Amino acid sequence: MNLTVNGKPATIDRKETLNITALLDELKVAQPEYVTVELNGEILERDNFESTVVRNGDTVEFLYFMGGGN
Amino acid sequence: MTIKARKLRFDTLLIHGGLEAGPAGATTVPVVQSSSFAHHTAEDLEDIFRGRKVGQVYTRIGNPTTESLEKRLALLEGGIAAIATASGMAAITTAVMTIVRSGDEILASSSLFGGTFSLFRDTLANYGIRAKFVDPTDITAVRNGITEQTRLIFVETIGNPKLDVPDIPAIAAAAQEAGVPLMVDATVTTPYLARGTELGADIVIHSTSKFINGTGSAIGGAIIDMGSFDWGSGKFPHFEPFAKKYRNFAFTARARKLIHKDFGACPAPMNSFLLTEGIETLALRMDRHCENAMQLARFLKGHDKVKWVNYPGLEDSPHHGVAKRLYKGKYSGLLTFGLADKSAAFRFINGVKLAKNLANIGDAKTLVIHPASTICSDFGPEEKALMGVTEELVRVSVGIEDIDDIIDDFAEALDNI
Ligand SMILES: Cc1ncc(COP(=O)(O)O)c(C=O)c1O
Repeated sequence: MNLTVNGKPATIDRKETLNITALLDELKVAQPEYVTVELNGEILERDNFESTVVRNGDTVEFLYFMGGGN
Repeated sequence: MTIKARKLRFDTLLIHGGLEAGPAGATTVPVVQSSSFAHHTAEDLEDIFRGRKVGQVYTRIGNPTTESLEKRLALLEGGIAAIATASGMAAITTAVMTIVRSGDEILASSSLFGGTFSLFRDTLANYGIRAKFVDPTDITAVRNGITEQTRLIFVETIGNPKLDVPDIPAIAAAAQEAGVPLMVDATVTTPYLARGTELGADIVIHSTSKFINGTGSAIGGAIIDMGSFDWGSGKFPHFEPFAKKYRNFAFTARARKLIHKDFGACPAPMNSFLLTEGIETLALRMDRHCENAMQLARFLKGHDKVKWVNYPGLEDSPHHGVAKRLYKGKYSGLLTFGLADKSAAFRFINGVKLAKNLANIGDAKTLVIHPASTICSDFGPEEKALMGVTEELVRVSVGIEDIDDIIDDFAEALDNI
């Protein structure tokens, strides 16, 4: 499955579908308890991480409010 | 903050919470005394600024030493995130300015610490923010004080120096009904006596300069976000983009991205180190502060030169019942007592040898002060009355020395008045 993750192409070598929780784990996303997840430009509710699956061609952004400036 | 750390008990979190292994196996948090943090590529730094990656940029915005302290404080309060600041007043200013705007009203306790009182009454008034003060132990007054403009309720767990003890869960219920966040300054009780989650606070404030540091060696403050308040209700339009993007982290996100960054009241890494070290012994110290204060209160009550003693641990204190229920039979280390007049209070303070005459609380050392002529001297008779400050009053922050030495010191000074 090919995704665009934070602006870069990412290939995930898995047959079965992945929900957001599994994707965070698969991509070893840092500090998953703080991250905001945007799927194809839409911000996901944290409660929907389990029920939302990613599909080939999806664009995913992982965003943090910590570090950084604006 | 790992899931594993969440399961640890309070006294263990004091020591292990938020601490990751340091370089060369260091067991204390390393002091990262660096203003700024270099990154390998332009893309790396762009990703951090865009929020795509976690990373340190600049110590005003974040620092690894400070981050350890923040994680520990969040775990201890049961919150979702924390921001450490340069002082307790910086924590209050940053947290309050994150929420209120010109035209808004703050409903505040009338028995606040003097610095907070003057921030609300004088400084913020110049920016169109109005504070309304009510007796926080009168829940009807609190309920009636909430108006259409109220955007924040602010109280102290135990008022300094009035030592009144509001029923915070009851205030929390009123705040929730009104859709207004409740900010609680828990400096005097610390998370050891009650965690923010137990009290029903939405935001917890600490002057970490006090019991959290524990030795009077550093000034600091903290803002802990319980993640409990709904910022997307429509009552806080300036929170909308943050509520949409960061959900229950909206408050911390707005504070970090705007107010904390722009006001710039960041702690020095060395102070974050001292505070992280200090907090390790909080449970042991608080137990001793509480025990010593109780014994000293009983001693003073039995002394013929002492007119009255105010300590929520005393059974005849009007605040004893609420304090006992909320703080598990512990009443912190602050007490006040009355002598014949100001002159007697001065003679007592000049007579103690062990206790220090200084403007602070929560030190391992016993501290005394005459508030009317010092920390409250800028206030008129009306405000002093609200704060419970009279001319004959002495405030004591009872330390963790051997109680017999504290009592000997007080006994001698009282005899010589
Ligand atoms: C209850 C309380 N809140 C806030 C403060 C302000 O903290 P700081 O002196 O760290 O700015 C103090 C003490 O000074 C305090 O006692």
